[in-house]
Amino acid sequence: MQFYGVRMRCAVLMMLCCLPPMAAGADETAAIPVPDAYDIIAGAIDLNRGLTSYSEMSMFVHRPEWERSSSLVAWTRGREDALIRFTAPAKDAGSATLKQGDKMWTYTPKLNRTIRLPFSLMSQSWAGSDFSYNDLSRTDNLLTFYSLRVANVEQIDGHTVYTIEAVPHDDAPVVWGKEEWVVRDDHVLISQTFFDQEFEPLKRMETLEIKELGGRMMPTLMRMWKLDEPDHYTEIEYKVAVFDLPLEDRMFTTFYLQSGGRS
Amino acid sequence: MPLKLLLQLSTRNILRHKRRNGLLLAAIIVAVGAVTVSNSLIRGMQYDMADAAVSNLTGHVKILAEGYRDDPNIDKNFVLAENWQPDVAAEELVGWAARVRVPAVIMSERGTRGIQFVGIDPDQEDISFIGQAAYDGERLTDGSDGRVVIGRALAEQLETTVGRRLVIITQGADGLNREAGFRIAGLYDTDGTSLEKIFVFTGVNTLQKMVGADVFTELSIRLVREPFLFQFKTSMIEFFTGLEVLDWRELEPQAAAMFVFADAAIFIWFFIMMGALIFGLVNTLITSVMERVRELGMLRAVGMRPKSVIVQVVLESSILMFIGVACGLIAGWLFILWLGEGIDLSRFAEGMDAFGMRTTMRPIPLAGDMLLVAGLSLLFGVLASLYPAWRVVKIKPLEALRR
Repeated sequence: MQFYGVRMRCAVLMMLCCLPPMAAGADETAAIPVPDAYDIIAGAIDLNRGLTSYSEMSMFVHRPEWERSSSLVAWTRGREDALIRFTAPAKDAGSATLKQGDKMWTYTPKLNRTIRLPFSLMSQSWAGSDFSYNDLSRTDNLLTFYSLRVANVEQIDGHTVYTIEAVPHDDAPVVWGKEEWVVRDDHVLISQTFFDQEFEPLKRMETLEIKELGGRMMPTLMRMWKLDEPDHYTEIEYKVAVFDLPLEDRMFTTFYLQSGGRS
Repeated sequence: MPLKLLLQLSTRNILRHKRRNGLLLAAIIVAVGAVTVSNSLIRGMQYDMADAAVSNLTGHVKILAEGYRDDPNIDKNFVLAENWQPDVAAEELVGWAARVRVPAVIMSERGTRGIQFVGIDPDQEDISFIGQAAYDGERLTDGSDGRVVIGRALAEQLETTVGRRLVIITQGADGLNREAGFRIAGLYDTDGTSLEKIFVFTGVNTLQKMVGADVFTELSIRLVREPFLFQFKTSMIEFFTGLEVLDWRELEPQAAAMFVFADAAIFIWFFIMMGALIFGLVNTLITSVMERVRELGMLRAVGMRPKSVIVQVVLESSILMFIGVACGLIAGWLFILWLGEGIDLSRFAEGMDAFGMRTTMRPIPLAGDMLLVAGLSLLFGVLASLYPAWRVVKIKPLEALRR
């Protein structure tokens, strides 16, 4: 689970919150030659806390036989609350997912039903993508369940880039054998790779494009795929991002999930 | 007319047509032998099914909290006194096991499956399949072992193996989800794969700690003798007031129905075989009687009573039947010995598994079944000779002699 935690963290950070970059941290970390691995990860994680965001993005699911793109809007508050709603294509428009801590609900307008996701479904694919509900919902416990160390430091394009190796503790609820994060000194996550217990890389999320959006440098195009199936991948591209805007409490309720704010 | 003389007459009549009667005898031997073998196989299947049903974490008697069967979760639990022992003579008891069993989700890097997560004390589990199974790797050592054992088929589905870590998610007693990582101690191997895919085991104390409740959800008791079951169950119902006390027939109704059906199947087989045989027997007897019309007429003419004639025909049939049944039982017995430990059907393991059967068909010859076959066969022999005998009685001596 921790690894899920990490993955989710990553997904939540990047997909939902869009907060990881936080230009503010860059200079401080760069000042220290090799910062502690925990600080690098915790810095990226903690920057999200207590912040709100609004973003518009498109999701592109690719399979050898077909591909599909959808549009989504997302609101987040801190690391606990998130609401994602599809706006296109028409057949998916209005479908929404609400997260409160580690609880999740989905709403499907065609059925007009809100469903609390049973935990057995949490590992299933979310909206047909390469992300699972777990990827969206896990609150972070990377710092609790993993041993972290900086495996590599290099200079790329004027940035210091840290490769952090995260190995789960023996009793950790984590299926992965280890996880590897590549984080830039301004906390932009470059890539995240999941390894099986024989330390073979299994799946990876990679940032393909970094741009300034909503007033900060952030990954704007990310791809998640399984390494043994390079033809199956999901890309998320941020179109619009606004940070630290006021959000009402009612946004993160099941009532709002269903009504979509039309009430 | 003295019986000895009639017996002599019958024997000689039989010996007069060695080939014809030999063929009939062969038919009887084959039929009786086949029925004996098939009966023993049906019995073997029946006992195996019952054994599998009882071993399937069921026991002869199982105690569950009210409502657990409809909604199996940790809320439907009970507490067992630490020094509890079933109130039963030691020679009637094979053993008992208290377990915690909850639905759960198991995950590896490559797969996710729904399972039954069972906390056991491995020392108690010689009453169930998990105590008898073959293992790759290690068994659980005791009730506080924090590792898991999973079935070989599940390990294949999850693409994992001994020593790897799995994540198991289940619901705690407070209704919140719990998740934890477990190392695989070993893989167990059972006949068929349905059990292997469903059950994942860990130490009972480990699971109690995970769900956050020092309770059990089930208690299985296995007895030495099935007939003792009813009396024992009654005493358990009195002891465990407020809990459900169920025997394996209620918990595994399909297996119980198959068990009853097997009793009927033995008779069905017997009647099919004997039914076919009887017509051959009647035919042979009528032929042999009809070709002796003149001689029987003569016997009647010199004073043999109709009753004696009937006895003679019945004796003929009975002698044939008796020899046939004796040889048939011996032939069947030899065949069963030759089968030995049973017929290996592991190629059809999936299908057999669906019926709750083992992959080896083991013959179980029961003396009672053999006596039943012998007795019924002799009875059929007598019944079959009645019609030919009746034909003989209808022979008028005068007409017979004039032919």
